[in-house]
Amino acid sequence: MTTDASFDVAETDHQGVPVLTVRGEVDVSTAPELRERLLLLAERGRTTAVVDLSEVSFVDSTALGVLVSGVKRLRSAGGDLTLVVTQPHISKVFEITGLTDVFRIFPTLDQAVAG
Amino acid sequence: MTADLSWAPSGGEALGTRDRVELSLPARPDLLFLVRMTAAAVASRADFGYDQIEDLRLAIDELCLTVCGDAPTDGRLQLLFKWGEDAIEVVGVYEPDSGEGALSVDPEPAQPASELSQRILDALVDEHGTDLIGGCPRAWLRMQRRVSGP
Repeated sequence: MTTDASFDVAETDHQGVPVLTVRGEVDVSTAPELRERLLLLAERGRTTAVVDLSEVSFVDSTALGVLVSGVKRLRSAGGDLTLVVTQPHISKVFEITGLTDVFRIFPTLDQAVAG
Repeated sequence: MTADLSWAPSGGEALGTRDRVELSLPARPDLLFLVRMTAAAVASRADFGYDQIEDLRLAIDELCLTVCGDAPTDGRLQLLFKWGEDAIEVVGVYEPDSGEGALSVDPEPAQPASELSQRILDALVDEHGTDLIGGCPRAWLRMQRRVSGP
């Protein structure tokens, strides 16, 4: 549970692929909830998932660390974790940390689901 | 406010300015948004552009994570923002108290957040660093205003 009322993670299903749509600011306060949701997916045996960050206004290093843990977990199970990023200042964070070489990042949810 | 918030980098000089804001708050994760809000307000006041305001919000967040690290969350975070004609400086000090809890997120991170923090700070600010002052972790950064294109 977080205290940031603007933060939310919602799970939907797109063509059989679980999608976590994240809204708000993902920082040291809210990233644990995203981590829990990613862990729950893995515990349910899902090996492929999409995290949609198109409605995220802020990510910091803790959020990135959670996503890196998530992608490594799913890839080790033979799957993948792909991202949807649409906002330039969020894309920039992935670029300056070199994580564009780690994640497959797409501009739309349809493209991410199609992989 | 008792923390030493003096400008700390070796060989550097602090901005000579009377424009300064001091912020003291509990070092709790759920309050970091207040630091980002203050950073955005200061950067706007200093006439920084939108991109640099976003950069400073992120850099300040990383500075706070750097000084607080895995420290107990019942300490206090002291911050000093200073700005002049073409730069903003921020100094942050974590003053420990006692108790349980920490700002950690992932007990076994695949990639240490501190490494990502350093990459972010290296990319976004012109100068940054850390040291200990009176046994308290201190971090600082300086961001020069970039001239926007036409």
